[in-house]
Amino acid sequence: MAALLRGVRAGRALRGLSSVVAAPTATTPQCSSLSRGFHRAAPRLQDDFKSDKPPPSSSSTTFHEHYQAHSAEQDNTATASHEGAAAEQASRPNTSYQDQSGEQGEEYETEEQLQARILTAALEFVPLHGWSMEAIASGAETLGLSSASTGMFNNGAGDLVLHFITQCNSQLTEILAEQHKQVQLGQAESKATADFLRDAVETRLRMYIPYIESWPQAMSILLLPHNIPDSLKHLSTLVDDIWYYAGDRSTDMNWYTKRAALTGIYNTTELVMLQDSSPDFEDTWNFLDNRIQDVVNMASTAKQVQSTGEAVVQGLMGAAFTLKNLTGLNQRR
Amino acid sequence: MQRAAHTAVCVVAPAMIRRCLKCRVPLQVNSRAYSVVPTPRDSEEKDMLDRILRVDHAGEYGANRIYAGQMAVLGRSRTGPLIQQMWDQEKKHLQKFNEILAENRVRPTALLPFWNVAGFVLGASTALLGKEGAMACTVAVEESISEHYNSQIRALMEKDPERYTELLQVIKEFRDEEMEHHDTGLEHDAETVPGYWLLKNAIQLGCRAAIYVSERV
Repeated sequence: MAALLRGVRAGRALRGLSSVVAAPTATTPQCSSLSRGFHRAAPRLQDDFKSDKPPPSSSSTTFHEHYQAHSAEQDNTATASHEGAAAEQASRPNTSYQDQSGEQGEEYETEEQLQARILTAALEFVPLHGWSMEAIASGAETLGLSSASTGMFNNGAGDLVLHFITQCNSQLTEILAEQHKQVQLGQAESKATADFLRDAVETRLRMYIPYIESWPQAMSILLLPHNIPDSLKHLSTLVDDIWYYAGDRSTDMNWYTKRAALTGIYNTTELVMLQDSSPDFEDTWNFLDNRIQDVVNMASTAKQVQSTGEAVVQGLMGAAFTLKNLTGLNQRR
Repeated sequence: MQRAAHTAVCVVAPAMIRRCLKCRVPLQVNSRAYSVVPTPRDSEEKDMLDRILRVDHAGEYGANRIYAGQMAVLGRSRTGPLIQQMWDQEKKHLQKFNEILAENRVRPTALLPFWNVAGFVLGASTALLGKEGAMACTVAVEESISEHYNSQIRALMEKDPERYTELLQVIKEFRDEEMEHHDTGLEHDAETVPGYWLLKNAIQLGCRAAIYVSERV
């Protein structure tokens, strides 16, 4: 499962990479080889692509200069398909299992990437077949594979639902990161926390609208015992991401209470959405507004209670002290 | 050529950063030039760093509360200023770890309220045994913490000293200050408290259990 999800990430990353780099490839093959060389410099296929970018490239320029000679021959293949990055890695001195599997050339992709592609294609058939193996089989067929390739998916419909959830979460994270960047560049105003949460949850739930008819089936699949750990993990990463971009940097119990509150809001709003028949789900968004207001009110009430409590305690201490003075207990003889 | 590489990276980087999916690696949206903890390469490293930072944060939080308990009892005595000084250094440590945790999106331990109360009670009850009791508690706790920091330093050095230089620097600095507190405690007659051996070992056992639990919960 973890491998599948890593593959989903990797697959998407590579596809995104190819779409970005495809443009400069035509005009500056040098540039693409450098960037490909740079990517190859990352020791591992999956996460390094994303996580090694921010650190200064000075540490990897030595790598990419070294690999540039290597890549020059392989640049001749016109396709900028970076699913071939896996094969490029196979050309490096270290022996990875991909190298030894015998698959070479630019078109090679890992099993996880293939699964991700099939599941993404299968999503179109969900309104027709529901969240089931038939949808996955139809998806495989549109990619030109036989429907027997559904044998790859041990978890069946669960795989499809989890893949969809992962996709939605990453889309949301992209949107939030983009907004965050806009705010940091000063091109947009930062929103109040309640508004930010409302917008984030609304954006995320709107991604379910195309599949809303069959969403109850998906939710029941997620509640199957063997899917619960994964669905909880996705939910917790979703909520953590939303709070992070909302600006939460707490390192005490607030970390837990905030996430618990948002999880409650998200789950109840999702359930309301399933029953909602108003135009454009207005009732759902109103419900969401009210729940967020509740939480905000509760937070401010808690603060008020705390400060009232402190004031009362101080008052009592003052009264006790006065009493002691009056009765003469405070004097030292 | 390097600039071309850099621009190629810049073109691709934002898309790549955003496509960092549920792998729980923090998105470097702040991209500060200097940060104490390097970006984890994979979820295994992230888990390891999370555990280290979580338990260190819990430790400093607990130490803070212990000194608060001691001050509550001995604050107005002669040892007050000394304890206050050590407490201020612990506050600085806690602040540093708060920053690191927030920056790296590390989950704080769920047992913080428990350490809050337990630390205060430990500090206050040992302080009730007098100045020597408070110093004995300090010696025991600081020794535990120093040992713990040392083992973390060893672990990080074994893995990759260059990658973790800043983090190692921070931990070493804090470990040195904890050792100072330990030595201060010894100087101020910690060993003269009755039942020193028992008290010290009981506290250290508690600390070890706390460290074990805070790494995981």
